[in-house]
Amino acid sequence: MSRGDLMSLLPEMILTGGGVLVLMLEALVPRIRRSFTGLSLLVTAAAAWGAFVAWSWKPSPEPWLTWNGLVEMTGVTLALSLVVLVATALSLLASQGYLRRERILSGEYHALLLWCATGLLLMLRGTELLTIFVALELFSLCLYCLAAFHRQVNVASEAALKYFLMGAFVSAFILYGIALVYGATGSTRMAEIGQALEAVGRMPLTASLGLLLLVAGFGFKLALVPFHAWSPDTYQGAPTPFAAFLSVAPKVASALVLFRVLEAAAQGGAAATSGRWSGLVAILAVLSMLVGNFLALVQRDIKRMLAYSGIAHMGYLMLAMVVLDDASLPPVVVYLAAYVLMNAGAFAIVTMLYSRAGEQHLISDLSGWGYRYPLLGACLTICMLSLAGIPPTAGFLGKYLVFLNAVGDGRVGLAIVGVLSSLVGVFYYLRVIYVLYMKAESRQPEGLLIDGWGRAAAVLSALGVLVLGIWPTGILQWLWEATGAR
Amino acid sequence: MDTFLELLVGNTLTRLIFFPTLACLPLLFFPKGEGGYRAVKIYTLAVSLIELALGLLYVATHMTWGGGFPLVRDGGESLDWIRSYGIRYDMAIDGISMPLVVLTVILVPIVLLGSWKGIERHWRSFSASLLLLTTGMLGALLAHDLFLFYIFWEVMLVPMYLLIGVWGGERRIYAAVKFFLYTMAGSLLMLIAILWMAWTYQSLNGGVWSFALADLLRLELPASTQIWLFAAFALTFAIKVPMFPFHTWLPDAHVEAPTGGSVILAGVLLKLGTYGFLRFAMPLFPRATEAAQPLLVALALIGIIYGALVAWVQVDMKKLVAYSSIAHLGFVMLGLMAIDMVAWQGALLQMVNHGLSTGALFLLVGMLYDRRHTKQFSEFGGLAKVMPLFAFFLVFSMLGSVGLPALNGFVGEFLILAGSYRTLGWPAVVATFGVVLAAIYLLKMVQLTIFGPITKEENRGLKDLSGREIAALVPLCVLMLWIGVAPQAFLEPSREALGRVLAEYRQSLERPEVTQAAIRPAVAVQPTEQIAEAGR
Repeated sequence: MSRGDLMSLLPEMILTGGGVLVLMLEALVPRIRRSFTGLSLLVTAAAAWGAFVAWSWKPSPEPWLTWNGLVEMTGVTLALSLVVLVATALSLLASQGYLRRERILSGEYHALLLWCATGLLLMLRGTELLTIFVALELFSLCLYCLAAFHRQVNVASEAALKYFLMGAFVSAFILYGIALVYGATGSTRMAEIGQALEAVGRMPLTASLGLLLLVAGFGFKLALVPFHAWSPDTYQGAPTPFAAFLSVAPKVASALVLFRVLEAAAQGGAAATSGRWSGLVAILAVLSMLVGNFLALVQRDIKRMLAYSGIAHMGYLMLAMVVLDDASLPPVVVYLAAYVLMNAGAFAIVTMLYSRAGEQHLISDLSGWGYRYPLLGACLTICMLSLAGIPPTAGFLGKYLVFLNAVGDGRVGLAIVGVLSSLVGVFYYLRVIYVLYMKAESRQPEGLLIDGWGRAAAVLSALGVLVLGIWPTGILQWLWEATGAR
Repeated sequence: MDTFLELLVGNTLTRLIFFPTLACLPLLFFPKGEGGYRAVKIYTLAVSLIELALGLLYVATHMTWGGGFPLVRDGGESLDWIRSYGIRYDMAIDGISMPLVVLTVILVPIVLLGSWKGIERHWRSFSASLLLLTTGMLGALLAHDLFLFYIFWEVMLVPMYLLIGVWGGERRIYAAVKFFLYTMAGSLLMLIAILWMAWTYQSLNGGVWSFALADLLRLELPASTQIWLFAAFALTFAIKVPMFPFHTWLPDAHVEAPTGGSVILAGVLLKLGTYGFLRFAMPLFPRATEAAQPLLVALALIGIIYGALVAWVQVDMKKLVAYSSIAHLGFVMLGLMAIDMVAWQGALLQMVNHGLSTGALFLLVGMLYDRRHTKQFSEFGGLAKVMPLFAFFLVFSMLGSVGLPALNGFVGEFLILAGSYRTLGWPAVVATFGVVLAAIYLLKMVQLTIFGPITKEENRGLKDLSGREIAALVPLCVLMLWIGVAPQAFLEPSREALGRVLAEYRQSLERPEVTQAAIRPAVAVQPTEQIAEAGR
């Protein structure tokens, strides 16, 4: 273990330490609970700083492998780490008001969220399947606890239990997949798996099966169809500010790991069979886009609507992964960044505009509130337009890159399915705007708690969506260079 | 003049496009609620008048008097937007876009005057929507980079959706969503076509990306490929025009939209469809245009006759004007499809004409609606006795729309018919019936509303037009008369630009057709290498 090894894990260490600190403070001086949000935000910011410090230690433009090659650092992992930290920050901003309103403010929430971010950062940087699995378990356990955090609400416990049972199954899937792949290739390192598969002429059946199990496992984390059933129920029952985190951050890390797995898988076997993995991704993409968008169309609860829309968005993301080489990474990263901003922003605003946890959050309850809450209404509108992929927002930029990737690979048909299903999407996103501005008020605001933190989350995400949509130049440039160096 | 900010402060297209957007920001600080409406109205009117002045100033400083209007460019080669994909900030104006830009900046203050009383709620949002819409329209008219054009094309959608949906009539939601989805359906397919072209361009040019119109015009594609791309573009623009059978959103949108929304919709938004054909779809895909010409001519003719017949049987004034738009734009499409200099000049002039006379008709219907809250013919009759000024303007605009000699419509329609007879033959004859039908239904409207005895007692007490309403109508009528008596001044600036497009169109048809294999190089080059180039 060298100093470089330690430095490379600086952001993870800061997050873990921060979580421990918050938990200690909760036990020793519970009076200062209200400052935990600020403290956790500082920890998140410090982790981002730590990521840059670690980046500055990177010796060469090549991927920086530390801890005997178990953990890597590249431009892509740095970018996605920052995206995860942004999601954490947005969720923290939104949660203060919620926790106070529901009278469940305590340090455990913040500590779990920070540890969750630790696991995610570690997972997206892992180059070896067992490291990835450990990180996955770390953040999954935190997620289960957080989903059940609002104990008094029955829906929350039910949703959390569902999520836990499904998640446990999936962990078993992934572990079994790792075992099979290890059996077939003799390694758990991604790079070596790819090389081993390339070396044998025909893809061994055990390897195929193992890789399929891995795809299914991470597909579950991404809520791809047909592994999506948990997400609407869980989002609906979970505390809304946590849904802001759950709906984005785990997907960011899982998407990268899934990409790596598929990339390794595509190296194996003859040319005729390696294209099948692209085909598999294409099927997952089309199913997710269609099922997600059409089911979102009939939802009356805004959280469920966002859950199905999230499924559709992961379908668009899969469209970029159909081309299994590193040039697909910039579209993936940009799409994920846009998705985090718009989706977490939407959930943050929903947190503030609905008062009773555990009850349905009907879209029609927002009637006419665009004029009552002009700022939140405008921010929600921007997030919805971005989710719908209307320029000049980040959501459009993401879709543009994804479709360009598919078209460039000669998959015009797939891109057309993508745009047509996003047309369906436009319909239900517009409905939120319609309800906000074109219907008469139907509900008096009761028991809402709209605080400065939450407003900050709304404004930051809306601004982020616009800035990324209008000035993406620098970020794209940097990403191309970063992936070029990979 | 290199950076965007430098462009924003100079006498440039950039300032013209983004001034309305920047002017939205102070709206945040106006008082909420009805108390502040007056201040918001006056502020927005001032902004739109400044915008008008900026537009006229720009045109006046760049016009070569006596000659054509030259191609003037903002940004272009020097100003990248998204460098990794060769997307440039490229705004340019020429004789084709100039008349439409001027029409746009003239219509915005008029729309405000026309909405003064009709809009009763949420003035701040109304002003913001209108100003953002102005930015979108100007941007779409001026963008010479396909990606940039697409962005502005979509940016127009949301403010218009709000204009219809928030301030519209009873079935406004239905109309607004229909408008949005129709337009979006077409444009998403166009996006795929644009992406495909840009990708093909870079794979043929060693990985150098470009979305610039000038670059993509040099892209030679086989006819079989052009057909698909043209279909995507043409669908988008045909929906916007709207051409039969994609027109069904238009009557709904027009009838439900508030007066101001209808004027903008008819005046500028529909023109973007025909402008898109002239600027993008036809020059980019000449072979496909040749192939699709019979179909598009047929659809234009159906639009002319069908629009006129349906307009004839309407009992609602606004619906009548809406269907007359379909007929009038059928004329424009016929002119464009004739691929003939005279017809094109007529089509471009007719785009402006339709904006003026239909805009005036929508304003007049709106003024009547403000007074009586109905648009049915059966509720009116004999208005000439109580509202002589109204009657004068209605007859004037109607005559302009019908195509009476010495007014604007005549010049445009005559040129279109003359030009298309030369190249197309009998379709021009069929279209002539459209002119006759237009006279019938528009005269019917005038007769039923302002002539004859006063049938309803409520109508006796109606007030004639106010000074504000006259101020909105006079500029339109002056322009109608001006174009009618001195059309040369309006045809001359665009001659050169139209001639250039036509010449390029014919040249690219004469070049031998490339094969399918020529556009599919063996190895696609990744954009990373371009970055390395650019970095050096």
